[in-house]
Formats: sequence, C-alpha cells, structure tokens
Amino acid sequence: MPEITFILPAGKEQTCTAREGLSLMEVALQNGVPGIIAECNGSAACATCHIIVDDALASTLDPISEHENDMLDFTAAPRAPGSRLSCQIKVDGRLDGAAIRIPAEM
Amino acid sequence: MGVQATIEETSSAVPVISDVTFAELLSDPYPTFKRARELAAVVRIAAANIIIATRYEDIMAMERDAETFSSVNPQSLVNRVMGHTLMRKDGEAHARERKAVEPALRPGAVKSCWAPKLEAIFDGVMAGFETNGEADLFTALAAPMAGRALADVLGFLDVDWQTMALWSQSLIDGAGNYSGDPEISRKATEAARGVEEAIDLALAYHRENPNMSVLSSMIHADDPHTLDQIYANIKVAVGGGLNEPRDSILTLVLGLLENPDQLERVKADTNLWPVAFEESVRWISPIGMYPRRVTRDVVLSGVQLRAGDQIGLCVGAANRDDSRFEDPDRFNVFREKKSHLAFGAGPHFCAGTWVARHMVGRLVVPRLFERLKNLRLRDRTDVRIQGWVFRGPTTLPVVWDV
Repeated sequence: MPEITFILPAGKEQTCTAREGLSLMEVALQNGVPGIIAECNGSAACATCHIIVDDALASTLDPISEHENDMLDFTAAPRAPGSRLSCQIKVDGRLDGAAIRIPAEM
Repeated sequence: MGVQATIEETSSAVPVISDVTFAELLSDPYPTFKRARELAAVVRIAAANIIIATRYEDIMAMERDAETFSSVNPQSLVNRVMGHTLMRKDGEAHARERKAVEPALRPGAVKSCWAPKLEAIFDGVMAGFETNGEADLFTALAAPMAGRALADVLGFLDVDWQTMALWSQSLIDGAGNYSGDPEISRKATEAARGVEEAIDLALAYHRENPNMSVLSSMIHADDPHTLDQIYANIKVAVGGGLNEPRDSILTLVLGLLENPDQLERVKADTNLWPVAFEESVRWISPIGMYPRRVTRDVVLSGVQLRAGDQIGLCVGAANRDDSRFEDPDRFNVFREKKSHLAFGAGPHFCAGTWVARHMVGRLVVPRLFERLKNLRLRDRTDVRIQGWVFRGPTTLPVVWDV
C-alpha cells in the first residue's frame, strides 16, 4: 500500500499507509489529519479539503478538471501553485512516498 | 476540539424533552437545542414528535455514513408533494441527478453568468424603495431579491417573485403537513402544478438555447433528466432555494446592525464580507433541520437507535454547539474561523451554496450598506425572528437618511 506523508501547517508530519482507490481526502479523514474538513464528503462542492502538492507530484497526477480549478479559487487558505482538492485525487502507486502539504487557514 | 462522535453497537434509550411547547420552539428553539445537546446525542422532542440530533460531531458522523443514515424515505411527505427528488436519494442515484444540476451552480457559473444578472436584479429591487427612507427589508428587499434570483437561476420565463414566494411557501408547508390539513394539501398541489406549467413553458426555449440555467443544465447534461426528474428537482429547488437567501440577507443585516462595531470593521475591510456571511448563517441557520432515516439498529454516541427511526439533524443547533463555537449565541464575525453546518454536509451539501455566498455576502448586503446611508433598525422590538425547521427574520423594519 502506498505510504503518504501529510505535512501540517506547523511543520509536523503524519505518515500513513493508504488503500489504493480511496481518495486522498478519505485517507486524511481516516487518519484524523487536521485541516481536512471535507464538508461535502467528496462531491467537489465545498472546497474544504484543500491540499498542496509539490511540482514533481503535480506533473504526474491527472490534470485538474475545470470544475476543480474553479473550486480552488474558493479555498479558505489562499490558492498556491500546487493547490488541489484532495477529494479529487485517487490513491495509486504515483502517491507512494508523496509529501502532501496541508495549508494554514488564514 | 469537539467531542468525538461514535457509531457502535452498545446501548441506552432515547431521552425525551416533554416540557417545551411547539410555540416555544418556533419563537426561540435555542434553549431547547442547548438542553438537548447536553442531554444526549439524540433526544425526542415531544411537542414536535421527532427525534433530533444536535451536536456538531454527531451530525458530521451521520452525514459521512449515508448507508446507516439514509436520505431515502418512501413515506416522506416531500416525495408525496414534489415527486421523487434527488434530496431523498442516496449514492449513485443521487449523484447522477446532482451532476446534471451542478454546472448551473458552480463558482465558475456564478462568476461568469449569475453575478451580472444578480446585480441587475438587485439594482431593480433597490430602485423600488431606495428613496423612501424607511422599509421593512423583508418585503422591500429580501423576498423580491431571492424570488427573482431563483426564477432566473432555475430558468423560468416571466414568473414574478410573488408567485415564486407563494409556490415556495406552499411546497414547504405541504412537505411539513404532518397533520394532513386539507387546505395546506390543496395549496401544495396547486403550487406543484404551477411549477410544472412554468417548466413546460420554459423547456422549449432551453432546448433551443442552451444556457447556464438549472433547467438548461438538466436537459443538456450527458445524463439528462427525464421530465419527471425535472419536475421533482425543480420543485425541491423552488421549495428550498428561496427562503435561505432571503433569510440570510436579513440575518446578516440584523447581525451587523445590532453590532455597529463589527459593522464598521467589515465596511473598512471588504474582504470580511464573506466571513460575515458565514457567521450569519452559523448564527441563525436558515435551514435549521433536515431528516435522515436510520437503516439498521445502531448506537450513536451512546444512544440506541432502531432501524426505521427518523432523525432530524438539527444543524441550527450544531452551529451553536459550545464544544465547537465559543459563546455560540453571539453574532461575532471575528470569532475563530471554523466550518459550520449551515449548508449541510456530505453528498447533499447545498448545491446553491456558491450562488448564495455571492448573492448575499458579496452583492446584496455589502451594496445595501453602501447605498443606504446611516442604515439602522427602526426599533429593535419590532424585529421578529421565527421558526425552527426554517428560521429567519420575518420582519426587519429599518430607516436610513435620504
């Protein structure tokens, strides 16, 4: 199973193993990662599961849909170049060893 | 952090609150909500003959477990009044219909299409009373604004706001007509027919002219709605898309007028308007409660629930849960930022959220304070706030300098 590290705003790290097929949001919720609220539970309707990925990972993931792109303008923390909605990323081998940053809310 | 909710298999019965009248619930449900929250995860309210959940974490847990806490209810009055709407479906059946509706309501659609249209509606509504120096903002502003906006967003042609308001209220009353009052049933049936006729009139246009409206989105989707699905889901939108923006306009105005220090700070930093809007719907949530049906015997945070139980998820109570929100009864734009449940949670998260956020929090209320100089309450004792399933100011008399 892919191993994923969440990096919290204060710098603390939380590493967990993730079942393939789950969304990154579901993995975060299962592991009680703070900052991932996911009000709409994966419908890409609420923008409360905002994460930031680094350039290398961003380029290997499937491209952002137009809708996700829209929603990312409405996250609580300001949008960054690697911003994604974690509910829209399915866990697979590409995420093994990934470091996922949880943005600090303003 | 709040209390952690649990869904497990051990037990204790549902406690009852039996000394609160229905009239008390309507005028001020919050003391009862507080008692219920402190008593147990789930409490029966005798006066309304309903079991309610009132804690933030419990409601979040329920909304993340749609298999146990289902939206499907064949006996639902909503189904009888409106047909088989997406609001009473789960899983794939719900997701398919939701997907066909959503393009009309996304942030991108709000920005490119609805923002200018809403602005034109707002200017028209303001022109009707701006020079009067006094008004009841319910009838002068909030009701026409919300009604006209909803007609436009849905894609109705030539339906005035008074008709929208009548249909909306009649459908809501019909969906809550537990006593089977024949007059309420008749009005609901009449409203349902009116909505169907308005849909029939508009569909030909939307077929020929694809656009951003909900009706157009429904028929031009990859997986388009059938006519019955259109009828049912538009009725839900009419019933559930008018009073929320209407009431939240008034609640936000009221919260700010009662707290002039906060108003001054918000006016000085326009980035605070969206925050003020979120606080207003946390403080007085326009939809205070919605139902879920328990599908298996289960224990929720220590209380035994049985398969078939109907539970009212009191988001209006959860949004004042003091284990999550400090001094929760107070309107405070500057409180610690935390997510609330005013738009629900889970797959049924309010589809109109982004239209509402723009319309109320970025357009109507900020512009109102810009345009009406020295806006103030005429007399605080004239303000009426009513309801518990749906709650908001029912009259908001104000004066300003002209």
